[in-house]
Amino acid sequence: MNSLAIILGVLFTGSILTFSIDTFNRKLTGWTAFATLLIATIYFYTTGNDADFSLQIGGITLKWGLSAFRLFFINIVLILGVLALLYSIGYMKGKARLGYFYASFVMTILGMFGVVISKDFVSLFIFWEIMTWSSFLLIIYNAYYKIKTEGLKYMVFSAIGAYAMLTAIVFIYHFYGTFDIAEAMQKGVFSFENHAFIPIFLALGFAIKAAVMPFHVWAPSGYANSPMSFTSVFSGAMSKMGVFGLLLIFATYYTSHTPGAYVFTQILAWMGGITAVMGTIYALIQNDAKKLLAYSSIAQLGYIVVALSTGTKLGVMAALFLAVLHAAFKGALFMVAGAVEKQAGTTDMTKISGLIRKMPWTFFVALVSVISLAGVPPLGGFIGKWLLYEALITESHNYFLVIVIFFSSTAAFLYAYRFLFGLFLGQEEKETENVKEAPLTMLVPMIVLALVSIITGAMPGLIFKPAAVAMRDIGFSSMDWQMSTLSNVWGNNVDVSLIGAFIGIVFVLIFAFLTLKGRKTTRKVGTKEISSSGELWKEGENWTFQQDFFKPFERAASPLYKLKMNKIWEDLGNALEAFFNFFRRIYTGNGQTYAMYVVGFLVLLILFRDYIFK
Amino acid sequence: MTEFNDLFIKYKDLITIAVYGTAIMLILIGLYAVLLKKHLVKIVIGLSIIDAGVHLLFVAVGYIQNGTAPIFSPGNEHAASKMVDPVPQALVLTAIVIGFAVTALALSLVIRLYKHHHTANIDQIKSLKW
Amino acid sequence: MVISPVHYIVAPLLAAFAIPLLTKLYKDAARVVPGIVLFYNVIISFVLMQQVSQTGMISEVLAGWRPPWGINLVLTPFTAFLATMISVLGFIIWLYGFRFKRTLKGGVVKHYEILQMMMVAGSIGVIITGDLFNMFVFIEIVGITAYSLTAFYRERNGAEAGFKYLLIGSLASTFLLLAILIIYTQTGTLNMAQIAERMAFVPHTMKVTALIFFLIALGIEAEMFPLNAWAPDAYEQAPSPTSATFAAVVSIAGVYALVRVLFTLFDVSGVHNYLIVMGFVTMLVAEITAIAQKNLKRMLAYSSIGQVGLVLIAFGIGSKLAVFGAIFLMLNHAVIKSLLFMTGSYFIYNADDKRLIGLNGMHKQLPYVSALFSLAAFAIVGFPPFSGFWSKFYILISASDQKMMYLIIGILLVTIIELVYYLRAVGRIYFAKEEMEDVAHRPSVNALVAMSLLALFIIVVGVYPDIVTGYLNDAASALLDKAHYIQQILGSK
Repeated sequence: MNSLAIILGVLFTGSILTFSIDTFNRKLTGWTAFATLLIATIYFYTTGNDADFSLQIGGITLKWGLSAFRLFFINIVLILGVLALLYSIGYMKGKARLGYFYASFVMTILGMFGVVISKDFVSLFIFWEIMTWSSFLLIIYNAYYKIKTEGLKYMVFSAIGAYAMLTAIVFIYHFYGTFDIAEAMQKGVFSFENHAFIPIFLALGFAIKAAVMPFHVWAPSGYANSPMSFTSVFSGAMSKMGVFGLLLIFATYYTSHTPGAYVFTQILAWMGGITAVMGTIYALIQNDAKKLLAYSSIAQLGYIVVALSTGTKLGVMAALFLAVLHAAFKGALFMVAGAVEKQAGTTDMTKISGLIRKMPWTFFVALVSVISLAGVPPLGGFIGKWLLYEALITESHNYFLVIVIFFSSTAAFLYAYRFLFGLFLGQEEKETENVKEAPLTMLVPMIVLALVSIITGAMPGLIFKPAAVAMRDIGFSSMDWQMSTLSNVWGNNVDVSLIGAFIGIVFVLIFAFLTLKGRKTTRKVGTKEISSSGELWKEGENWTFQQDFFKPFERAASPLYKLKMNKIWEDLGNALEAFFNFFRRIYTGNGQTYAMYVVGFLVLLILFRDYIFK
Repeated sequence: MTEFNDLFIKYKDLITIAVYGTAIMLILIGLYAVLLKKHLVKIVIGLSIIDAGVHLLFVAVGYIQNGTAPIFSPGNEHAASKMVDPVPQALVLTAIVIGFAVTALALSLVIRLYKHHHTANIDQIKSLKW
Repeated sequence: MVISPVHYIVAPLLAAFAIPLLTKLYKDAARVVPGIVLFYNVIISFVLMQQVSQTGMISEVLAGWRPPWGINLVLTPFTAFLATMISVLGFIIWLYGFRFKRTLKGGVVKHYEILQMMMVAGSIGVIITGDLFNMFVFIEIVGITAYSLTAFYRERNGAEAGFKYLLIGSLASTFLLLAILIIYTQTGTLNMAQIAERMAFVPHTMKVTALIFFLIALGIEAEMFPLNAWAPDAYEQAPSPTSATFAAVVSIAGVYALVRVLFTLFDVSGVHNYLIVMGFVTMLVAEITAIAQKNLKRMLAYSSIGQVGLVLIAFGIGSKLAVFGAIFLMLNHAVIKSLLFMTGSYFIYNADDKRLIGLNGMHKQLPYVSALFSLAAFAIVGFPPFSGFWSKFYILISASDQKMMYLIIGILLVTIIELVYYLRAVGRIYFAKEEMEDVAHRPSVNALVAMSLLALFIIVVGVYPDIVTGYLNDAASALLDKAHYIQQILGSK
């Protein structure tokens, strides 16, 4: 028996087991799910996975296998999955329908695992759909009123993407006579020269999962409204499936320099750039930390899309590096938001602040992740940005995009700061007096993810190594890299580990200093106690400084906020539904009218018989 | 009797046309009642009239001039060529039985409808729609 | 063991006459005997299917008259497969409805059970007969039982739905008779194999006229737009087991009749395009009507029509793979839609509200039924790894072979509409706020068994479709191989 099949089997049975165990013992549910995934992960890393596994079903050969490129993404999925499940145990404690939650969670991971190991299009599609519907079940977990809009929006967009893929897949079979990805690629399936719609349709499916504008509409509310422990996987790992697919399509083009696809990659790059800017701008004005993170996530995915659509070695390296880093810091940040939500009851930044004393470890994770997100040295995020800029400037000479990315990542400071400040710094509120630090099961995964950001900042080679192997696997020539040194084309070398160590020491010192300093007693004033400076203050009005935090910026960027993609899609949906409602009136309810339809249709057929039946 | 037969032969085209025309007229009259009359019972009557028209058409198709009844009897084996076609007649018998069942069922439904809606106007019986 | 296909029809008929007598001896005979008969049908189906797969075809003549004079029953792999499917589903639906209305007095139940059994038997008759007029008779049997069952509930609007169904159904039978008449005058026979043989000599005008009457008449039975307006009312008002039977048995028989006539009798070009276009229109109209429905069963009814539309599209494509996909989809539709009606019935029963709002928060009262409903909803939309995915997939592949890109995109867009309303329903079950905390009417054991069997089928076929693909493959080639059909039936002269 092949180990991949065994892992899929373990996850599948684990999912069912989790669901059924919930009816007997609710405490064990989370642990069962965690144990399932842990067993699968350990089994995966301890056994050799050399042989492909193929399976004949319904006249179609399903083929599963591994390669360095796939392994790279499997690492993200499995490790983040294990951490997020461990986190869930604390986060979901006391909530309803645990069996439903964990079973869907494990199913989602099964789907992602399956997507990555699929070597043929049919199983790719099957697992893609499994991943989609199981994540849909998790998105609607929180409440009904969301299914009508958010959950369904996600499902509809996913379905559009998935069905675009399916269309492409059936035509691949028609034109090339195979479902095997490698074989089809050899026959030039992604070459854009003949049947350009095939790669475009496939790319559409992947791009929707990667939340590229203008198909991002599902993402903000989808990320923000599902349980946070899932969002960390949802945003951290599942969006990477889109990246995985896009790389799969475009890699052949990059490495063989087919002429046709240049336009498409440029379009994709610009879509990525716009996504990065718009995501950032929208993140700025969110009052809810979860929403803020959701938009930030979209922006970060924009970077990755830009990076991979440069198509150069450095660019793809940057994309892979950022993919890992994004999984690490955004996974951690969503976990932070979840911890705050769990402990303080809300993530609305206008309601709570000053949690640093109550939740120091959570704050530490948030700080590290935010630094990494903003791309500040010495953490991993910086390395990724560095690679991205260098790829854009030196290799693809796309200076305009550089400006766009630069603007976006500068603005990212603003929201990153707001997130940190809004939740953790500032005065303490009365409402948050009794808040405690998150339980250990939640802290451990968060800290592990924070450590990833720190370590990769000092030794980016840890990711360069598998990334370089993965790139060679998809056809790029081999790539030089050093464990802890960054170099550029002008011959400058920077030892990041030294800088990292130095900054780390300073950081620890300042941290210690601040902690000691904070010990002295002060009168704590809540933000809502601020005097109103002569203006009339209405009862219950919220005058927290978090209100209109970036008002000046908001005013400057106001034209951009008018551009509401969400509204356009919603109007389209409403218009369609109104039309449907009008149209169904042809079923008038009068039996005689129905009889007239029958006779009328008969007359029509007789009149046009020569045109219809030759 | 022979006079009648002669008459029949003389006007056979006319009679054929009359029979076919009657059948088609019956079908059209029935359709008119089904499609335009508002009273439920009239609609059911319309259905019966259509049925009658179709049955007549069947019988007309199977008829042969001067044909005999389609019965084989000893000493009369050569009559097969002069027999009217038995199949349509068999079909019509079956169809009549079915039509009878349908009409009976339809009338019982009409009674039920009248009790439920207190009207026999089909335009006012529209509680199930869209 | 050699069994004649006649048993399919004789057993239910005998039972139908015997039941009123047997109830004098044993009070529950009306409940039990149809089950025995239907189970007997299941057994002979499997025996016959085995036989057919060995011998290729069974042509059974009645009353000693050989075809083309006598009436014959034909079991090809195609009809044997459909007959088996219908028998099994008929039995499962009987099992589900075994305790149906057990609080009512015996008479009503007796009628219900007899009619239900006759409806299944009539549908089998439509499928296995080799004679055009015989097919008409069986269609009428199905029709009359269906009208009566639709009007089963006195207190609801059953009579209205039944009357509409009867009105349209009578028009269908009229047109069917006219079509048969034209065919008979032109070919002089009613045996389908012989008609097919002689069809080449029929003048084109007559052929097309007969074809149009067939298309209207059988289009009504197959729920093709714009002839399907009776269907939602009937599905909605009939008792739930009957609605399931409409979807799983009656509509399948209707589609079979249409396909048999179009594929075997006629050789007119343009029919395939007609099927594709009208199938797509049917599907589109049905799904966009379904999305706005407030009533659960009505929504399911429109969804059924949509599925039938897709079946017609697949038959219209006409390649072997497409026909294979179409038969697969018929199977899936029958199984999944029965499960949806069965589970939906329990929601309505518990909520005392036929509207979709009645689903709100049902998962607390009926956890198992809710899970089954969700499973069926996912399956019918075509999510892998459930059986609905495969049929849709094969149909799409076959469409791509004909380079029908717009058709593929159209089908998939319509699927998105379908997905929206099914997932809304699932969301209601699991996530809407619960309003009442009644004591649930839990499903009885027999209903649970019936529903679980169907769910098991959905999952097993979804994970491993090869269980059925062999039969489907034979069935598809049997339908398409017209010459073989003619030769097998007439060759034994």
